[in-house]
Amino acid sequence: MPSTLTNSPSARRRNRWIGRLPYFALAFFLATIALLVWLTRQYDAEEQQSALITDVLWMEQNLRFQLDRNEALLQQIGPELLDRSTRPSNQTEAQLRQLMSQDRGIVRVLWIDAQGALKGSLPPQTETSVVGESEGASPSESVMKLARALGRPVYGPAYPVLGDEYHFEVYVPAWSEEAFLGVVVAEYSLSDLVSRELPWWFSERYRVAVLDPDGREIAAKSKISPLASHLSYTTPFEPPGRGLTLQITAYKGETRWMPVLLIASIVLFGAVIVWSIWQLRRQLARRQEAEQALRSESAFRKAMEDSVITGLRARDLDGRITHVNPAFCRMTGFSADELIGAMPPMPYWDPDQIDNTLQVHDVVMASGTPPDGLEVSLRRKNGERFSALIFEAPLIDAEGHNNGWMGSVLDITEQKRARELARQQEERLQATSRLITMGEMASTLAHELNQPLAAIASYNSGCINRIDAGEVDPAELREIHEKIGRQARRAGEIIRRVHDFVRRSEPKHESIDLNGVIREAVGLVEADSRKRQMRLEIDLAPQSPRVMADPVMIEQIMVNLVRNGMDAMRTTPAKSRVIRIRTRSAANTAEVRVIDHGSGIDGETAEHLFQPFFTTKNEGMGMGLNICRSIAELHHGRLTFEPNPSGGTIFILTLPVERP
Amino acid sequence: MNDACAHIIDDDEAIRDALQWQFRTRGVACRMWSGAEAFLEAWQPDWRGCIVLDIRMEGMSGLECFDELLDRNCTLPVIFITGHGDVPMAVGALKKGAFDFIEKPFNDNDLIEHVQRAMAQDEASQRAAADRDTVEARLATLTAREREVMELILEGKFNKVIADELSISMRTVEAHRSRIFDKMMVRSAVELAQMLTALRT
Repeated sequence: MPSTLTNSPSARRRNRWIGRLPYFALAFFLATIALLVWLTRQYDAEEQQSALITDVLWMEQNLRFQLDRNEALLQQIGPELLDRSTRPSNQTEAQLRQLMSQDRGIVRVLWIDAQGALKGSLPPQTETSVVGESEGASPSESVMKLARALGRPVYGPAYPVLGDEYHFEVYVPAWSEEAFLGVVVAEYSLSDLVSRELPWWFSERYRVAVLDPDGREIAAKSKISPLASHLSYTTPFEPPGRGLTLQITAYKGETRWMPVLLIASIVLFGAVIVWSIWQLRRQLARRQEAEQALRSESAFRKAMEDSVITGLRARDLDGRITHVNPAFCRMTGFSADELIGAMPPMPYWDPDQIDNTLQVHDVVMASGTPPDGLEVSLRRKNGERFSALIFEAPLIDAEGHNNGWMGSVLDITEQKRARELARQQEERLQATSRLITMGEMASTLAHELNQPLAAIASYNSGCINRIDAGEVDPAELREIHEKIGRQARRAGEIIRRVHDFVRRSEPKHESIDLNGVIREAVGLVEADSRKRQMRLEIDLAPQSPRVMADPVMIEQIMVNLVRNGMDAMRTTPAKSRVIRIRTRSAANTAEVRVIDHGSGIDGETAEHLFQPFFTTKNEGMGMGLNICRSIAELHHGRLTFEPNPSGGTIFILTLPVERP
Repeated sequence: MNDACAHIIDDDEAIRDALQWQFRTRGVACRMWSGAEAFLEAWQPDWRGCIVLDIRMEGMSGLECFDELLDRNCTLPVIFITGHGDVPMAVGALKKGAFDFIEKPFNDNDLIEHVQRAMAQDEASQRAAADRDTVEARLATLTAREREVMELILEGKFNKVIADELSISMRTVEAHRSRIFDKMMVRSAVELAQMLTALRT
């Protein structure tokens, strides 16, 4: 059970924050991951870009170097080709052929003298082709002049030729001893240059295209156009120049699977995380709901438990107390802290009955309590004893195991006391009413008998008066004596009525437990004996004698004898004011002895003891012992007495035992 | 009717009859009543004699009847007849001023003797009451001055002292004195003192 419920507003706010924290963290995490991916991509793209630029620069360098090399070669062989005096040497021829070799992009070499006459070409060229059927007729005179003027190689513009190709030319002036000899023109095929001069790896990676100033593509290293032109670089195509630009576009490039996979997995796992957190959240919400329900249920149960006046305590299988409710604490006077964890013998057990209680405890631990509960005597912390009714129910845990016992404890002391009191009062009332009835009967009888007797006495005195006075009138005396006779008969009638009454109230014979009846009787006089500071000691036969008798009448005898005993001990020293009541059974009889330590009975008293209206007490009527003896005789028993050897009297009631 | 007699109240007819016979044999006047109610109804303040009351009766009990008589300032002596066991009640009644009680059944003429004593007492108290009336009547004839002088005489003062105290002459005192003695019908100061002491106690 939660000791504190997290219900304060600040705690709730904190809980909400803690609940939201994972979402924020997740959002940040995902954002960071996305940023990381983006940055990686960016970095990648930059890397690619810079690689592209490097490659482009390298390519341009490469082209330039190629062209420069060709220029140098042409410069070298130019004078030889154009010198009229000499025939080109074999070496020159070889160099020329080398130039023409395919990977240099040169499709033709022409050499033209200073007058502009074609001196020769390789491969040999017809005049017409020199004039050119194409735009910017080749070789161009203006460019030739420019080359001559500048004294260094000059490139001509690109021009289309048959076969959808573009060519351009380089004019290399040739000098001999300061004399201008002419120019060597090398005609490049743009597409050959681009395609042949580039290594395979470059063309695999990039598409290289040459664009004219209008942006038209005039040569390309691949016919396939790239899917996306997202990564491209354009650089002026020098030295041919003339507005040509070199455009290098990266192919879609190889898809880089690793990062894609990584990103995909990050996205996937991110989604999984989000999903699982969402699931977790749902579950948490359900749990919280259940927890809330449990908490209110628990509060409800607790309130219920606190409000009941029945003590509740739970024990585990070893008998250790695991839980007590406030009512139980109030009942026993111990605090919950003192009780929880306690092992038998419990602090609230009655030390006088510890064995008995332990036995009950073992029975309960083994099999629970009977449906009517078990009654035990317990003791409060302040030493006060109380009777408790215990009901036990097994504690079944979630797995269905019996892991202890829950007991409810009812304090039935008051109830028991009230019941006992009611019973005693009822009995006392009955006894009193019996006594009153008997006393009234005796008193009425005395009064009734007194009337005729008084009348007789008066008549008699009157007669004597007459005789004394010597005025004897026989007629008058006769009348008076008739009246006396009538009164005597009246007295006789009263006696007969009493006799009839006694006969009518024959005892009911039933099988009774003599010890039980005596205990009842002692209960009736106990209060009186305490008031008079006298002690009653009961010494009952272990095997209670069973007699056929009227329990009420036997009780009557016992009450009478005990009262008489107490009356007799009025002058006895307080410490020996003891009345002992003893039952014993012999072969055919059961005997009850009422032993007092009173004044005893002297000889004269003993003679009249059982006579009616004989009493030694001022307010007594003298009927008690007489009635007692009559009752004993009605039960075919006897009531006798004998002196107590240690002072006082012993009254002995003997009753025949029941025949089985 | 106003002659002194014993009023016997008992609900038992036999007892009434027997007592009537016994009283007649001793010549004691008596009157029988069958119950307290009948007696109280007939009772007159000037009745003389005594009352014999049975404690235990049907209807109004003897004790209740006695209380009623006390309320009515009845001065007649009351004798209770008790049965067995009524003694404590009778003792209570004695404390309230009953004359005596006697237990049933009666021994010989005990009851009659008790009754005679009660009647004698009643007569004596009757006479004393009559004497008191006479003295008071005589005192009423004295003048204020004579009363004054009489008080001083009762204090045992001589004529001379009285004359000084009252600032009158000796002769006047003597005249008052002889008139007081005449009116009170006494011969000496001692006799006068006795008569008035009896009245004042």
